[in-house]
Amino acid sequence: MLLLDYQNVLIESMLKDRFSGAAPVSIDQVVSDFDGVTFHISTPESKTKIRVSIHVKCFQELVQYGAQAVLEREYGPYIVEPESGYDFSVQVDLENLPADQEGKDDLIRRISLLKRNAMAAPFEQAFDEFAQRQEEASKYTSESAPQGVLEGGEVRAIHYREEEAIYIKASHDRVTVIFSTIFREETDRIFGKVFLQEFVDARRRAIQNAPQVLFRHDPPLELEGIPGINTSGSGEVGYITFVLFPRHLTAQRREEVISHIQTFRDYFHYHIKASKAYIHSRMRRRTADFLQVLRRARPETEEKERKTASGRTFRVQA
Amino acid sequence: MANQTPAVVMDNGTGYSKLGFAGNDSPSFVFPTAIATKGVGGGAGGSGSGRPAVANKPSFLTGGAGPGGHLSGKRGTEDLDFFIGDEALAASAGPGYGLHYPIRHGQIENWDHMERFWSNSIFKYLRVEPEDHYFLLTEPPLNPPENRENTAEIMFESFNCAGLYIAVQAVLALAASWTSSKVQDRSLTGTVIDSGEGVTHVIPVAEGYVIGSSIKSIPIAGRDITYFVQSLLRDRGEPDSSLKTAERIKEEFCYVCPDIVKEFSRFDREPEDRFRKHTVNYPNGKSVVVDVGYERFLAPEIFFNPEIYSSDFLTPLPNIVDTVIQTSPIDVRRGLYKNIVLSGGSTLYKDFGRRLQRDIRHLVDARIKASEARSGGAKSGGLDVQVITHKRQRHGPWFGGSLLGQTPEFRSYCHTKAEYDEIGPSIVRRFALLGGPGST
Repeated sequence: MLLLDYQNVLIESMLKDRFSGAAPVSIDQVVSDFDGVTFHISTPESKTKIRVSIHVKCFQELVQYGAQAVLEREYGPYIVEPESGYDFSVQVDLENLPADQEGKDDLIRRISLLKRNAMAAPFEQAFDEFAQRQEEASKYTSESAPQGVLEGGEVRAIHYREEEAIYIKASHDRVTVIFSTIFREETDRIFGKVFLQEFVDARRRAIQNAPQVLFRHDPPLELEGIPGINTSGSGEVGYITFVLFPRHLTAQRREEVISHIQTFRDYFHYHIKASKAYIHSRMRRRTADFLQVLRRARPETEEKERKTASGRTFRVQA
Repeated sequence: MANQTPAVVMDNGTGYSKLGFAGNDSPSFVFPTAIATKGVGGGAGGSGSGRPAVANKPSFLTGGAGPGGHLSGKRGTEDLDFFIGDEALAASAGPGYGLHYPIRHGQIENWDHMERFWSNSIFKYLRVEPEDHYFLLTEPPLNPPENRENTAEIMFESFNCAGLYIAVQAVLALAASWTSSKVQDRSLTGTVIDSGEGVTHVIPVAEGYVIGSSIKSIPIAGRDITYFVQSLLRDRGEPDSSLKTAERIKEEFCYVCPDIVKEFSRFDREPEDRFRKHTVNYPNGKSVVVDVGYERFLAPEIFFNPEIYSSDFLTPLPNIVDTVIQTSPIDVRRGLYKNIVLSGGSTLYKDFGRRLQRDIRHLVDARIKASEARSGGAKSGGLDVQVITHKRQRHGPWFGGSLLGQTPEFRSYCHTKAEYDEIGPSIVRRFALLGGPGST
């Protein structure tokens, strides 16, 4: 498994199971997802009505960036009043499903992508803003552009974790996505550094089309003047900048790009852990080899002087 | 924020792994503890499939590496090319992948595979950041402390999980029985009968501690019942006697009867409501009908009369339970008889608990009577035998973990990453007893 899935596997499998016509049962499960997202899957009214609620830490911010509109577009008729303690709820009635299999599959897919869609709003907004600015900027040459057109818009900040955030900024020729990361663990920091270097170098080596990736410890210039940024540059916090160029932002690519970039942090951490697992397995192998060597190196049993009961010894006749 | 996230409960058994979050009433995922990796299969660590395995060397001496890893040849991302669970079974059916079971007889044999199995469980299925969650893992009784340390090394060093608690499955199964209405006091004393796919254990637990010297295991469990059903179907010449059909029949139709002879005559007297028909549908659209007869009550009967199935193991389950309790310290025996808890899929047959209770009570009463006769007139106060059946039997240990993992004090029982960093792996040799006296 190289890439992480975008959808929540549990919701997916559970809905698939329910939709296939199995006898309705009552469900009541609280499930976690990455980044402190919590789902609650339940059947509050009757066994045929499944409600899926989501709690996202930064939902207020997401709403500010148009999450409601995105969710309404995706889930339109299924939206219900949010359950208390959660931010957003959808409800499907098993007796009232799309008739064809395709429609059902599509519904399953959409609901299992609930987290992805909730988090997608600021990205979509930024991509739209980019399109707008590109249009505007195309009217001018780089010299004649009036103040403001080339500068880029406001920075959208999503504080999706306690200490980490995503910043998105659109300008006329690119969209910049910046992740701030923090590592508690010394080992992880080193692994992370190697990984990120690899990301930075990827473009130079083989993958010309990849977005540009930059990594630094002090806040990038894009984030100047944003409240809550630690400017001390102490080295604990790192900033990873993805520069998405127009070719990443075309209509047919954008869904995929949003999904990809959202899972970046989880992907990053997953791979740090996978490499540790790999190194551990090499270490175990090596230890096993050494132990084998040690076992073989046991000295031969030395020839002791043998005595009879009365204390005499046998001596080879010279 | 970190104190809102539910604890992750993982019960990795020999056959199946149960994964989920504390507070839920059933595991989110139940799939085989199997991993399919690239390259030729071949058992790692242990000997073939025969049980009980005679390991020529404990796995901690070989470093748990197993003989199979030719790591020097790997340079790319081969280490990520693997599947776990049901996907592993599917992948191993095709070319190129070998199937491995990292756990044998309840104990982890291949740490490489287990580490990757956990990594995929956490990131692909549960989708959690291990940094944000506390973990509750289970271990079989008599698990060597080295295995605990290895587990802790992986959980803390690879995954940086926030906190860890390792509980004994039998104790969790006792905790799961608290949901039954028959249980009045939430004590952790009792006898656990854990019958899964491969083997059945009878484990006495006193105040949350397993009495290791008295554990007995019986080589009759779910798989044997399936084989027995299959052989009965074959003898009768049914049109379909595959293992899968036998398994379905076992799960759907079998029950425990109070008396075999009477049950036989009842079947002969009223055949129409006793004999059943089972329809097998094939993927190609055809279907055949299989008759289901005496195996309905004969199959689970092998627990009580093993001689009808096996010729080398002949002690009935009630006698084993009685022996186990009799070999335990005398001051806990009363508690052990009073609280006999069932756990695992093979204890789900209808009236299994009732029959077991009756048989054990017969044994106990007979003994009391004999000793009364010997003492010449002294009267015994009697002994209370009670077998607890409850709704969460199937995933008993997991449910017990879920129950204890959601208690507010759970976190204070865990060892945290900081403590691990301070003291090292040996910290997990001891855990405070979760759910024991003094807690709610």
